[in-house]
Amino acid sequence: MLIIFQNIWRVLVRELHMMFARPLYLFASVGVMLLSTFFFLTLMKGGAAEKMPVAVVDLDQTSISRRLAHEMQATPSVDIQLITNSYPEARAAMQEGKIYGIFVIPDGFYRDLVDFKRPQMDFYVTNSYTVGGNTAYKQMLTMVNLTSGAFQREVLRKKGMTDDVIMHRIQPLTIEGHMVANPWGNYSVYLVSTILPGILGLICLMLTIFAIGFELKSRTSHAWLRAAGGNYTVAMIGKLIPYTFIYMVLGVGCHVILYRFAGFPVYGSYGRLMFGLLLFILAMEALGITMIGLLPTLRDALSIGALYAMLGFSLSGFTYPQMAMLPPVRALSYIEPLRHYYLIYVNEALMAAPVENSLPNMLALTGFMLASLFVAPRLHRALVYMNYPLK
Amino acid sequence: MWYDFVNELRRIFRDPGVTVIFIVATLAYPLIYKAVYWNEQITNVPVAVVDLSNSPQSREFLHRWNASPDIRLTHTCTSMAEAEKLLRDQTVHGIIYFPRDFERQLADPLGQAHISLYCDMSSFLYMKAIYLSCNQVMLESMRNIQIDRYEQMGMDKEFAWSLVQDAPYTETALFTPTGGYGSFLIPAVLILILHQTLLFGICMLGGTAREENLDQYSLRSLLGRACAYFLIYYALATVLLGLLPRLFDIPHVGDIGDVLLFIVPYLLAVIFFGMCVSVFIRNRESGLVLLISTSLIFLFMAGISWPKEMIPDAWKYLSYTIPYTWGAHGFIHINSMGASLIHTNGFTASASTEFIALWILTGVYFLMACILFSVRKYRLLEPNSEK
Repeated sequence: MLIIFQNIWRVLVRELHMMFARPLYLFASVGVMLLSTFFFLTLMKGGAAEKMPVAVVDLDQTSISRRLAHEMQATPSVDIQLITNSYPEARAAMQEGKIYGIFVIPDGFYRDLVDFKRPQMDFYVTNSYTVGGNTAYKQMLTMVNLTSGAFQREVLRKKGMTDDVIMHRIQPLTIEGHMVANPWGNYSVYLVSTILPGILGLICLMLTIFAIGFELKSRTSHAWLRAAGGNYTVAMIGKLIPYTFIYMVLGVGCHVILYRFAGFPVYGSYGRLMFGLLLFILAMEALGITMIGLLPTLRDALSIGALYAMLGFSLSGFTYPQMAMLPPVRALSYIEPLRHYYLIYVNEALMAAPVENSLPNMLALTGFMLASLFVAPRLHRALVYMNYPLK
Repeated sequence: MWYDFVNELRRIFRDPGVTVIFIVATLAYPLIYKAVYWNEQITNVPVAVVDLSNSPQSREFLHRWNASPDIRLTHTCTSMAEAEKLLRDQTVHGIIYFPRDFERQLADPLGQAHISLYCDMSSFLYMKAIYLSCNQVMLESMRNIQIDRYEQMGMDKEFAWSLVQDAPYTETALFTPTGGYGSFLIPAVLILILHQTLLFGICMLGGTAREENLDQYSLRSLLGRACAYFLIYYALATVLLGLLPRLFDIPHVGDIGDVLLFIVPYLLAVIFFGMCVSVFIRNRESGLVLLISTSLIFLFMAGISWPKEMIPDAWKYLSYTIPYTWGAHGFIHINSMGASLIHTNGFTASASTEFIALWILTGVYFLMACILFSVRKYRLLEPNSEK
């Protein structure tokens, strides 16, 4: 028993020497994670889209059309960059990415309003930039409704009604929107909470493949096994302990920054969310072992690993929901550990769901760890015989 | 130079690692992404109903709302607690709640009725589907109520109508009218795939050459290799940006000639950018390990999915040094919104800013690559510097 611990210790010390001899290991883990955290936390000022540039095409050029533009400018979500009387000019500005929406006030707008002729307002948005386009769309829709309301108010006032009575005439029905678990509609809450753990997982996967594959590539796997007393399990444990330690520290640090300092909400269990992250890290490491085990050539395993993990960001469904994907793609999403971490995050941080809801995903992450055991014989043979091409 | 060109082509195609990244990944990734975002719009989002008023008016409202393609009323609950459990279990992604006094408030000529809507915020798109469709139904219902109330006040129906609908409107999504999430994201991803696979491939080839101690740091080699990458990637880009959008219903309203001209400086800028980066890569594999996360950073920094107006200045200026930023915006403007490459006359849109910026980056990164290469070459000639 003691000899096993001694061997693990020997492999671990050997690994630490290798780790500090090459700047790549620390740079690709700690450096990349620090940079990514800093980047994504400072990227989205406030987390809600404000002052999106739009154009107003004012064909009416009256006091009322100017007031309409003025009131639109006063709203927080749009910023009128261009007031023109030429629609082609506004359209060209949109094609050049300068504005996300165009609001057209027709010629004779004021005159028609006074004559009860129902003048028509037109608005145009772009789908090519989705957040900007949506924000502009919502605001312009609101403007149309407000205009309608303001007009009714004027007419009713002339008929001698008080403002209080008018209010209920104009707005007999209201919707109160409640954004469950993210009352501020903060975009960075969904994005950063999944992207940063995702990047950490990506690092775990790539570095695990690299750490094992590099032994094969540089023909040092015999020395590695010798240090472990010829025991595959001891070799693996000793090698992965220092990395796992780094990943765990990075994972805990990332959670502390997100949920303590940046103030992202956690409505459910803190501990289970953290546990989910640690399981996710281990699952990604295990996936790395599986990949280098199936493809014991460093560059093949890395290329495939990179492709696989990058897809996880789309398949996890944190931007584009999984329910909208085609059934085969939806099935594929379950072989991405990030999908399971994302679901644990939704359950624990947003929904405050009971533990049963996260349990299947936790088991799935454990499944990735067990799967890596199946490649053990194959990887062991590769370490012993070194029978794979070098590059 | 001809020798370097041919030699680099040979190295690329004899190296399965590079071939996987250059050819397989570049061609497979767009198809996978198209498959993931196939449905464009999210439809039939399941919603639970808690109707305490249980009135003809609320049922009428629900009936109309259910007709919208965006949502589907799947569960009827008797209490909020029951509905909240469904939301927590992710069986539904929204709850609509009618309070007990809903009908009474509507019947009262001075009353104001409330509906509460709870949206699952685990994805932005749920809220969009639920909220906008509900709002639409609310506005329609409200008009009917208003007309009724004005008629009760003794106005004639014609007048009440004109009062309620005094400002009708049209809404138009320009350029890609049916477009949804995929139409927005895939063009940006196509450009990113070209950028990143080229970057990783060049770093891999550079790292390999360094492991094998090949002399790769002469101007001749730099130009010869750049030509090899350009040749392969021009062909790939033609398939990715010209053919795939037409085959798979990805937006392509722009002029194909403009797109093919636009990507010349884009590819050149990425190639020289990649060569600059590759100088710092020691092993064939380390580039991929170090740089894989930049894919997400470049995508977000460019201001595509998160609007560029909302990005802090420091990141914005940094993004101007990355070819991807200009390439993605220029491609979207030409390909997805129909801008032309250069100004023709009057109010025509052009991607000339991006086009010029890419030529400038090409020049800057070419010079930088020359400098970095000569520094490296000098260091290699110094006998004791490397080891």
